[in-house]
Amino acid sequence: MTSSPIWRLAPGQRLQHRCWEGECVLYNDLSGDTHLLDEFALAVLQQLAGAPQPVAALAAAFESEGATPEDDAALFDTILADLAALHLIDTLPC
Amino acid sequence: MLTVAALGQPAVAARLRGRGLRLQTGPFITCIRSASPALAAALGRMYADYPVMGEDISADFDVLLRRPRGLRRLVKPQVYFHYDGMEPFQPLPLAQIYPMFEWAMNWCVSSHAHSWLVIHAAVVEKEGAAVILPAPPGSGKSTLCAALVARGWRLLSDELTLVRLDDGRIDPVPRPVSLKNGSIDVIRAWAPHAHLSPPVTDTLKGTVAHMRAPADSVARAREPATPAWIVFPQWRAGAPAEMVPVPQARAHLRLAENAFNYSLLGAAGFASAARLIEQTRTFDFSYGALDDAMAVFEALLAQRR
Amino acid sequence: MRALPLLTRVLRAPESMRTLDAGAWELLLRQAGDADLGATLALLADEHGFLAQLAAPVRRRLGWARTAWERHAQAVRFEVQQVRRALAGTGLPLILLKGTAYVAAGLPAAAGRLFSDIDILVPKTALDEVESRLMQNGWASNHHDAYDQRYYREWMHELPPLQHMRRATVIDVHHAILPETAAVRPDPARLRAAARALPGAPDLQVLAPCDMVLHSAVHLFSEGEYDHGLRDLFDLHRLLCHFGATEPGFWAALPARAAELSLGRPLFYALRYAMRLLGTPVPGASLAAARAGRPPRALLALMDALFDSALRPPHPSCAGAVDPLFKGMLYIRGNWLRMPPLMLSRHLFHKAFITRRATTQV
Repeated sequence: MTSSPIWRLAPGQRLQHRCWEGECVLYNDLSGDTHLLDEFALAVLQQLAGAPQPVAALAAAFESEGATPEDDAALFDTILADLAALHLIDTLPC
Repeated sequence: MLTVAALGQPAVAARLRGRGLRLQTGPFITCIRSASPALAAALGRMYADYPVMGEDISADFDVLLRRPRGLRRLVKPQVYFHYDGMEPFQPLPLAQIYPMFEWAMNWCVSSHAHSWLVIHAAVVEKEGAAVILPAPPGSGKSTLCAALVARGWRLLSDELTLVRLDDGRIDPVPRPVSLKNGSIDVIRAWAPHAHLSPPVTDTLKGTVAHMRAPADSVARAREPATPAWIVFPQWRAGAPAEMVPVPQARAHLRLAENAFNYSLLGAAGFASAARLIEQTRTFDFSYGALDDAMAVFEALLAQRR
Repeated sequence: MRALPLLTRVLRAPESMRTLDAGAWELLLRQAGDADLGATLALLADEHGFLAQLAAPVRRRLGWARTAWERHAQAVRFEVQQVRRALAGTGLPLILLKGTAYVAAGLPAAAGRLFSDIDILVPKTALDEVESRLMQNGWASNHHDAYDQRYYREWMHELPPLQHMRRATVIDVHHAILPETAAVRPDPARLRAAARALPGAPDLQVLAPCDMVLHSAVHLFSEGEYDHGLRDLFDLHRLLCHFGATEPGFWAALPARAAELSLGRPLFYALRYAMRLLGTPVPGASLAAARAGRPPRALLALMDALFDSALRPPHPSCAGAVDPLFKGMLYIRGNWLRMPPLMLSRHLFHKAFITRRATTQV
């Protein structure tokens, strides 16, 4: 696939969560696990819950201070990979 | 209301040997059957104030403590715990029948009572506020619980905190407080008037004894409580009494780790734990002297007034 | 035949739960707890519209069992997704079996059903690739005894169970529904050819209705263990009722398919005991056609006695004096159908003594 993958909230995830002082607990509707996430990871999930989008659109929705676009891309790639490993998000089938 | 004491020991023993003694503990009715005179005597002493029910309401749990049949009876006296035709535990020496009974009662609730989030924790209440004391082994939770109860805190439970899934209040299931090894002597000294069962040695947990629940706690067994604090105790010799707040997200996870059925309850378990964290303040609590600990808990109450 | 136990009577006629008194409910719940059928009772009461009218303590206990089952069903669905993901690269359809199939296909037989392993069917030629992909995705063999490995790979119809290292869930990979060593076995290729895809998931399949029923019958009537005998018979009952009502031509096709797959005997037993114990409404024509699988009269009398005992709830209230003997005979019989006699005695000996000794050395 040559074009950028479209990320989305995994079907079935309702994002039940609570945030306290920068840390969040989140219930995973698919695996039944409870995750400890930071507010940024939760914000990424909420952004994807709003609409499926490629990583570029996702990065544009967040302001970064002083980082280069390459740093941004690397950061988002890492966080998306981690969230996908937890079955919270996946990519739309091509 | 008929209690174990009012029923009288001969009738208690007869029901245990026959169709079962139906004992009410908090929200549960347990049908207990056993031919053991030692168990009958222990129940008569430790559960004197507890209601005994008739056969017109179905029991929640069915506990049978029985000796093996045949020659093994003579060689090595043992007792089995049977539940619905299964044997959840290995058999234990007959001398341990009363502690086994208490462990069996805990098992029944922690394995089945999925209308509550069941936390492995003691819970006591005073002035309308409940403190939950989750209990990894070695934390000193039971000693602390027994000490608080001896100083006027109402006992809701020493092992099983039942958090209602619908409204987050705590339902009591007050039963004798279990004490191990050194804490038996500590509590004997701390509360000379408390009734302790005869210590049983060489159990899997060492030497074990149980402190009878105060009559007032048993009388109020159907009165729920509102949680105000979650306190993770850690006894350390010589440590000053110190409460350190736990960040709430971490507290949620630690609470979940200490709950028997958190994962089984799924989304409802998550919501119940989250509500509990929002309603309460959570602390790590280290202490070395019970007097210091009492003062700290009274200070918590004072802050609320 | 002895009088039916309470649990069997209730499964046969769920409406009868309405009129049970406190003592009968206690007995019923104990029998159901021991047979892993508590959640099934809860769902049956709900389905028949009287759950809310039951006494509060009863409703509460049924609720506990139902909660546990709901979590179980969630876990099964998640496991199926993980297996699907692990095997996506093989290009093979993933055929789900037994309880896993009932949950994935949303069949009535799934309601309240608890089970411990995920069961799938793959071609024998694909076994190595399937095993390798599962192991790359976190599953590992927990049968390290060389004899057990050989038992499964050479003689049985499945890989040794694989357990996921993080989730601890177990998957049984079958390549046939009866072992290599059985005298009579259906060609798995025919079962795979008739399998049907699930809506919206072309790579996920379940057996065709007749085959699903026949597999359940084979599983019950040639397995060695009957602790879940009543539950498995109730599965058969629900499958038969459901397909009988929704699948055109099902009742005529069933005995025909059984003959084609040489499974006439298990089908005969399945229909016989489902009718006798649970009152399954089997049409006369289907019964008549299934008689082709009937055993000789003397054997049938023995089987009636054996299965009458084995298909009772396991709870002590249902046990009779002869039961341990009967269950022992059925265990031997179960394995006999799957393995020739000489190999059987070696297997039982090994299983009973060598495996246990190894455990106590730990």
